[in-house]
Amino acid sequence: MKMEGMSLSGLDSTKLETLAQDIYSDLVEDACLGLCFEVHRAVKQGYFFLDETDQESMKDFEIVDQPGVDIFGQVFNQWKNKECVCPNCSRSIAASRFAPHLEKCLGMGRNSSRIANRRIASSNNMNKSESDQEDNDDLNDNDWSYGSEKKAKKRKSEKNPNSPRRSKSLKHKNGELGTGMNPDLYKYNYSTGINYETLGPEELRSLLTTQCGVVSEHTKKMCTRSTLPDPDSVVESDGYDAADGQVLMSRFVWDGSSDISPSDSASSKASTNNSDSKRPKKKKKPGSVSVGGAVAERGPERGSGAVNAGVGSSSSSSSSSSSSQAALTIPNRKKKPKFSAPSALSSYDELN
Amino acid sequence: MSKEAQMRAAINQKLIEMGERERLKELLRAKLVECGWRDQLKAHCKDVIREKGLEHVTVEDLVTEITPKGRALVPDSVKKELLQRIRAFLAQHSAL
Repeated sequence: MKMEGMSLSGLDSTKLETLAQDIYSDLVEDACLGLCFEVHRAVKQGYFFLDETDQESMKDFEIVDQPGVDIFGQVFNQWKNKECVCPNCSRSIAASRFAPHLEKCLGMGRNSSRIANRRIASSNNMNKSESDQEDNDDLNDNDWSYGSEKKAKKRKSEKNPNSPRRSKSLKHKNGELGTGMNPDLYKYNYSTGINYETLGPEELRSLLTTQCGVVSEHTKKMCTRSTLPDPDSVVESDGYDAADGQVLMSRFVWDGSSDISPSDSASSKASTNNSDSKRPKKKKKPGSVSVGGAVAERGPERGSGAVNAGVGSSSSSSSSSSSSQAALTIPNRKKKPKFSAPSALSSYDELN
Repeated sequence: MSKEAQMRAAINQKLIEMGERERLKELLRAKLVECGWRDQLKAHCKDVIREKGLEHVTVEDLVTEITPKGRALVPDSVKKELLQRIRAFLAQHSAL
């Protein structure tokens, strides 16, 4: 073809420029035509004037272009300085703080329950630890900041006894809670820190007739498992049917095994579980409960926790007695609980 | 056909074949929308339509009214950029 030999160098610059201009104007005309076709189609289809309404509304929603105001005409921080009245406590609150205040005021936020619990816990502590009002006032007067730091530290280090996690783990540890007494018992338990030596004999008896009373080695807390189903079991030390007292006695037996390390306790528990495979697993029914029955009860729940809680023990005073018991109770586990009962009772006499 | 005309035809053909024309077209359209040219022209369309009557507007009417105004309304910056690109293309692909 002839074109093959040609090059643009043959064309001078003006012609080149003209060429460029022509190409450009072609492009612009394309764009214009495109718009025309679009508009014409919109007109014929009837949607060209759809975005227009009556003149009044058009004026209402016209775009605003003033400084300090958005395109709708609204000022940015108009409500910042306004104050609202809280419907709950009837206080006047700043607008930006209103929502968080309402959350706490109505007790419905995520943190409000935590704060309330913390307050309850600390007020419990304050009530129990303050024997003398005057002393406390003196403390407060002398070192306000130091005292508050102390209290703050104490509060932080204390675990919240009412937190859901703790109550859950306790449920597992103590087996069935059974009665409604238990929440109160927990509070009593944690806030006082049971020490059997300080309690009087009457208190101790009343305590132990209603609850298990075994103090945990790890947490120094008293087992609050209720003994209500068999209230007579403690009184009758020798009156053993398989029906009565086995629930309670079996718990006493566990006291001895507290010295065993966790690995041992797991293995010992396994051995008792084996022995119990013959017996049916029932929950808290006196008829089937034996030493192993206690294990079977706790079997379905968390294993190591059950052993620890039920066993509890070893406050320092009981450690010697419990160690002596260990020798007695381990072989006893496979025998009937009758043999272990007297030894269990003797340990508690020592405590008293 | 003169050489010049042949030249132009050849270049146009190349422009299309290489897809450069499409690219330039898209670039121009985007720039015109960005600078508000399109909205301006549309408003002008509305006036023309109201003038001529909604029912009786024809494509030719619109074209004859709109195109000259459209050409005039293209901002200089857009025009310059486009010309630059075209020249670059010509310079690159002048030798056949």
